[in-house]
Amino acid sequence: MQFIIRRTLLIIPTLLGVILLVFAVTQMFTPEQRATLYITSERQMRNVDEVIRQYHLRDPIFVQFAGWMTQLLQGNLGYSRTGGGPVLQVLLRKIPATFELVILSIPITILLGIYLGVKSAVNRDKAVDHVTRTVSIIGWSLPTFWLGIMLIAIFFSGLGWFPPERMGTATFNYIYLSGNWHHYTGLLTIDGLLNGQPWITLDALRHLVLPTATLVTVQIALIVRVMRSSMLEALGKGYITAARAKGLSKTEVINKHARRNALIPTLTLSGLLIAGLITGVVITETVFNIDGVGRWAAVAAGGGGNVPDIPAVLGFALMTGCVYVIANLAVDILYAYVDPRIRLG
Amino acid sequence: MRYRLREFKAGIRPTLDELKFTLKKIRKSPLSIVGTVIVAFYITIAVFAPVLAPPTDPRNPYSIFHDGYGPTPRPPGSPVNDPFILSTGWTVHFLGTVEGQLDIYYGCIWGTRTAFRIGVIVVAIALTIGLLTGSLAGYYGGTIDEFLMRFTDIVLAFPGLILAMALVIALPRTWPIDLGFLGLAIMIFFVLVFLGRFLKLQGIWTFMLGLLGLATVVLSYVWALGTPPIYIIKLGLTNLDKVLIALALVGWPGYTRVIRGEILRVRNEDYVEAAKAVGCSDFRVITKHILPNAIYSVVIMASLDIGAIVLTAAALSFLGIGAPVGYADWGQMISFARNWIWAGIENPWQYWYTFTIPGVFIFTFVLGWNLLGDAFRDILDPTLRRR
Repeated sequence: MQFIIRRTLLIIPTLLGVILLVFAVTQMFTPEQRATLYITSERQMRNVDEVIRQYHLRDPIFVQFAGWMTQLLQGNLGYSRTGGGPVLQVLLRKIPATFELVILSIPITILLGIYLGVKSAVNRDKAVDHVTRTVSIIGWSLPTFWLGIMLIAIFFSGLGWFPPERMGTATFNYIYLSGNWHHYTGLLTIDGLLNGQPWITLDALRHLVLPTATLVTVQIALIVRVMRSSMLEALGKGYITAARAKGLSKTEVINKHARRNALIPTLTLSGLLIAGLITGVVITETVFNIDGVGRWAAVAAGGGGNVPDIPAVLGFALMTGCVYVIANLAVDILYAYVDPRIRLG
Repeated sequence: MRYRLREFKAGIRPTLDELKFTLKKIRKSPLSIVGTVIVAFYITIAVFAPVLAPPTDPRNPYSIFHDGYGPTPRPPGSPVNDPFILSTGWTVHFLGTVEGQLDIYYGCIWGTRTAFRIGVIVVAIALTIGLLTGSLAGYYGGTIDEFLMRFTDIVLAFPGLILAMALVIALPRTWPIDLGFLGLAIMIFFVLVFLGRFLKLQGIWTFMLGLLGLATVVLSYVWALGTPPIYIIKLGLTNLDKVLIALALVGWPGYTRVIRGEILRVRNEDYVEAAKAVGCSDFRVITKHILPNAIYSVVIMASLDIGAIVLTAAALSFLGIGAPVGYADWGQMISFARNWIWAGIENPWQYWYTFTIPGVFIFTFVLGWNLLGDAFRDILDPTLRRR
């Protein structure tokens, strides 16, 4: 418990740092560009000078920081042109689609990665090992966007199995036009069941296959590689020999003795995995045309005309920074739970 | 002179031996051979780009030539129509064209050069900053270490691509740099450092004093932002420059941490103690005794990061915030192809060449570096090396 409290308190300076860094980025813009961070309505948009004066955007850096922090604490991240609303609202509206994708990819990547890593280590230098390593390094080298495009070309254009985007026409009509739809969680898969329309859940899952496959293929190498090497290390330890010597079967030794110990380093890596997934989501959502925060950020940064939508990009960066810091906190706490040496040491 | 040469030869002898040993190890691993061949292949393409794809506009070789502006991609082997391009010796589009009639073959060949440029420059900048900050943090420890490590924590708290995205859009097209102010700041820094020497302050405190002075100057300058500038030059930044700067700024903290770790490893070795005992300056101890023993593997690992950096740069281009339109760049060529994945029910794969070919280029390029990197990781790992 003490460890958890100490570790939780430690993220405060990091979060503050994240906020400071985003603020430092705002300082690279001209005052006119910076004004967009404070504009919340059309009326203000027409009178930028007024906004600059009101929020002291030409004043010294400390004054600006105080102003910016005040806005931030009130939950005002500016008005997003590409999202058509205040940044915070757009973020909240678009996050379920992204969350659905990420939450589906994480367990698949971790479980499959662990399975392949163990398989590879147990059969070291045999065919299975070589194939697993080669496939995972190929996945690691594939550009996410290209993999997504190729998957669409094969499984949608060619075979017609799994469509891109978030939902099919029938689902769209039901959700937005029928009037019987209630947004419980925002996640289509769960809302489909809650609304008593299981076909919507199936449709949503069908649309999730390709993006999830893309994310998993690119990220899995990270887990496989570390799981393999830590498994190899664990297999070389004395307690394995002891377990074998006392007559335990090979599967029992691997599953109960080696794998459990090898899991610990892999767990730390889950933090990195989350960073990779956030990056992957920006590209995957763009390729598959899924209306989540990732595609929104990409559109805001480059796709929406010549002028970037600054509040959107910075708001998104701030959000990912905070999510990543908190995810790392969760991983660390989990880590302490699994490994008593850390909790007590 | 002769003696100097012999001394030099003796000095680098162990390094050379290690290098030979490493090369021997590489020859024995099949995957690393594949990696080496791929990387060598791309180096050849980059070097001979002007021969393989003679530019139509020699002053501007990185812009892909247009054969008109037709919207529909044309398949490999289509004839060139534009009389000007015909006059430069191009008669056929070897690998077809993407929308806007940009030649795929030309873009891929010159895109190789772009990829190397991005990779090499970003690694060089990030590694240099990493070396400087990493040695400071690792050697001196204490406050400066804590400060730098907390800073790297913050930068590493962002997924790289996201921060790079924000930086690319934040960097201005022309960056006004006040040379006079910069000179003044550097001057004050050195004055303070010499003052520290004069007051017989110990190594790190001299530096801290300088830093303090520098911070005061910068802060007072920023405070009085409205004051007239001293001497301004305007640094023009192209989109590609912005990508380079952004990736380097995002990339250096990773190196700082690795180098710091390596330096911590060798810092307490006997030969370092010995060098300190005979009175070597901090600078000499770091550059002559610590760094040569600490960075060998780091530099190699860093250079093998080129693949990953090119991947991120390509992703930025794909999202439309990288190289300008028409610039020879693989990521951008794929983003052109996005609209042509689905050509219709009868022949869905009609435009396969637009997205397949540039993709194969990026993929194999990155694969080559990763294979090499993977092999090196095993070879350079000191616990596995001599087995």
